[in-house]
Amino acid sequence: MKKCLVLSIAVACLAILLLIPKASQASKPPTPRVRFAPVHIYLDPGGKPLAAYQFELKATRGQIKIVGVEGGAHPTFADAPYYDPAALMNERIIIAAFNTSSNLPTTRTRIATIHLQIAGDAEPKYELSLTTAADANGENLSAKITLEKGEQK
Amino acid sequence: MKTKAILASISLLTVSLILAAWFSGCSSNRAEKTPPQLSPGVETPSQAERAQAAPEGSPKSRPETRIYDVSDLLKASPAGPSTVNGDGMMGGMGGMGGYGGEATRFGMRGFGGGMMSGMGGMQPSPATSLDSEPLASVTEDEIWVIAREKAPQAAGPEYETPGSGAMMVERGTEKVPLPLKHTDVKGRVCGYIATVEVVQQFHNPFSEKIEAVYVFPLPQNAAVNEFVMVIGERRIRGIIRERQEAEEIYREARRQGHVASLLTQERPNIFTQKVANIEPGKQIDVNIKYFNTLAYADGWYEFVFPMVVGPRFNPPGSTDGVGAVGRGKMDLSGQSTEVQYLRPNERSGHDISLAVEIDAGVKIEEIACASHAIRKDSDGSDKVRVQLSEFDNIPNKDFVLRFKVAGDTVKSSLVTHRDERGGFFTLMLYPPEDLKQLKRAPMEMVFVLDCSGSMNGQPIAKAKDAIKRALRKLEPDDTFQVIRFSQSASQFGRDPVPATPDNVRRAIDYVDKLQGSGGTMMIEGIKAALDFPHDPRRLRLVSFMTDGYIGNETEILGEIHQRLGSARIFGFGVGSSVNRYLLDRMAKLGKGAVAYLGLNDSGTEVVDQFYDRISHPALTDVQIDWGDLEVSEVYPRQVPDLFVGRPIILTGRFKGQKGTAIRIAGRVGEYDREIRIPVKFDNRATHPGIACVWARKRIEDLATQATYNADSCLPAEIKQVALQYSLMSAYTAFIAVDSTQITAGDHGVTVAVPVPVPEGVRYETTVQD
Repeated sequence: MKKCLVLSIAVACLAILLLIPKASQASKPPTPRVRFAPVHIYLDPGGKPLAAYQFELKATRGQIKIVGVEGGAHPTFADAPYYDPAALMNERIIIAAFNTSSNLPTTRTRIATIHLQIAGDAEPKYELSLTTAADANGENLSAKITLEKGEQK
Repeated sequence: MKTKAILASISLLTVSLILAAWFSGCSSNRAEKTPPQLSPGVETPSQAERAQAAPEGSPKSRPETRIYDVSDLLKASPAGPSTVNGDGMMGGMGGMGGYGGEATRFGMRGFGGGMMSGMGGMQPSPATSLDSEPLASVTEDEIWVIAREKAPQAAGPEYETPGSGAMMVERGTEKVPLPLKHTDVKGRVCGYIATVEVVQQFHNPFSEKIEAVYVFPLPQNAAVNEFVMVIGERRIRGIIRERQEAEEIYREARRQGHVASLLTQERPNIFTQKVANIEPGKQIDVNIKYFNTLAYADGWYEFVFPMVVGPRFNPPGSTDGVGAVGRGKMDLSGQSTEVQYLRPNERSGHDISLAVEIDAGVKIEEIACASHAIRKDSDGSDKVRVQLSEFDNIPNKDFVLRFKVAGDTVKSSLVTHRDERGGFFTLMLYPPEDLKQLKRAPMEMVFVLDCSGSMNGQPIAKAKDAIKRALRKLEPDDTFQVIRFSQSASQFGRDPVPATPDNVRRAIDYVDKLQGSGGTMMIEGIKAALDFPHDPRRLRLVSFMTDGYIGNETEILGEIHQRLGSARIFGFGVGSSVNRYLLDRMAKLGKGAVAYLGLNDSGTEVVDQFYDRISHPALTDVQIDWGDLEVSEVYPRQVPDLFVGRPIILTGRFKGQKGTAIRIAGRVGEYDREIRIPVKFDNRATHPGIACVWARKRIEDLATQATYNADSCLPAEIKQVALQYSLMSAYTAFIAVDSTQITAGDHGVTVAVPVPVPEGVRYETTVQD
């Protein structure tokens, strides 16, 4: 009887010793989920011809990394805009483009698509600010900038 | 009894728990340690499974997945996945944006300034052996690549029509080409700065998704600062990131099925392009842009575009080299970078088009291209457009274009650029004209000839002709030595011998008998050339004649730095696709110069130019007084000697706008010399690429320091500069991901793009097969 009891306790202790590391592994936080998603940036120049813009995008919630910058819908801004590499080193995404052609957009148009890598399950919350928007003469425009989260196909 | 039963149950339960935990652990470990194996014809995990799978291993684990040859791919059963990717979201886009010099008009930061080529332009104003090796055995070195009996190939050499250049791969009765279809190169030269745009057209001719991997060359001084992935009409600008981070993003994007591309630098002149998830029948273009300064010598500027990486020799035990293997022999070399080569009877479907517009700013007197057939169109006396002939479009040698500008118009000149980061300049500094009136002191000439297998045939014949010509031009007061190396080194005389007619004749006989075979233990040649006692009465000039096909460049440069002493090194790159990075760095570290001897170049002419140069004393101990210009971070840090006909380019940062005069002082023998260059800020003498050129020079300087200095901060400094200026380096990479779409199925098989061996190089003696 005693032998059985001792044997059972020994086996149970052994089990606990073997299971503790597994349990501690299981309690580790899971690797954050990583996904890729676009954010489309729209700008409405209020009826005036838009020749140039610069904006800044950041996430106030969630972890994002820029992995590509794509041009806009209007032919004037179809080429991939430039980003500021120095700002990127400080986790700031600053995008800009200009074009002085005669065919400039005057209504709301998608000016760029930012391709992002998003880490974690939390949906990022974005803060978008327009630094400047200007016409072909370099005059500032009172334009409105907005973003739309893109859907994957 | 009851208690016994309870205890037995507890024991059984406990044992079950242990066993369950144990098996669970084993299976989870297996899942972690074994990444999904991609095997031709074998289904890979579903998309949902992939989405949950852990990220792949560390970026340093070299092979991300096994890379398959086309023949492997073709053995795969056709999966024929359905296509999700459409033709592109934004059809009809054709407008050109830009953001640079003019951006300040809009009150914006000019961070794209260096990228705006279209926004501005510059208007430029007796035989002994070292190792007791008998001469008779000179050519009996072991061949470093063993040519094995050819194994049966799934993919045989098939041609559409002779000379069509299309490599076709058999798949039953189906024949399909390889994934790199075409490369288009457009260069614009303003003064001595070139802006070059390279478009690589990848496509997928297979019935299943692929990842294309292409190892390719660019000029060793290319400041690569722009990368755009093109999917249909959509253009996605790549982002510069730390290399490891970019590689992780790429792997994850590839795993999830996104179209993605990654550009990494393996050497300053060797890059790897990866494009993931190219669906059957689809095309993905990758646009790369770079700036570089042109070499100038004896009145001629030289624009070079390398087209193929030459097969490198890697010393035994090295793993960080550049392997050369036959098509389909992936991972045979054991090197971190590997190039697959087409066999001699195979041709690639990959062709190349190339056009260069030259705006010299002064009259162009002559244009020559010894490497390729070209067409020329002139637009005024100072503008020329050159195009590669469509009959010479196989990318198997360097494109070398030289143009001569009006002699009297070439003067030392300063070109500047300013943006929000400050002012940047390049100064092309010419040696004083009157150096030509002076005669040189006696020399100790050391000729070092690479007799390795890759030099066999035309290259070694050219090099031997050049050495024989040089021997005949020696003067009676000179002494000389001839050293050969391959697997080991041996030399003509125990010590340098006087340049008597009899010694010269015997040396010519010695050179005549040399042949190319064996490995390229360049380190032995360097030791032999630099280690013997220096004759203080003579200036030692060491001339290396080599194709530079080695993978241990850093080790070689470190040895030169250690052993140089007062010698000067002159590099002669011999062949159709020389390792210019190595030759240029050797000459820079060796305070000498470099010249290239293509297979169509006259060896006599190149040697005569070299002798013209060294027949006059150089301007040494050069010091610069920048006047009122506040100058900092000038590269090269130590101004090299100025030889007749060879200007140097200095690049730095500056503040101030006042006109001033730069004073260059130096010594010619025992005499002091001075040059004054007036500086007048002229809006025309500007170029947007100068900031990138400066940053590239800074990276080069830091990388050179890293070859002989174990300072652990150097890589971080290189990375910092590269990220700030959006430049490729050993520690940064460009990544571009299309996040809008996920392609169907797994990420497909990886297909390496095989390339031809450079013209004049023998496959059998250089490629592992």
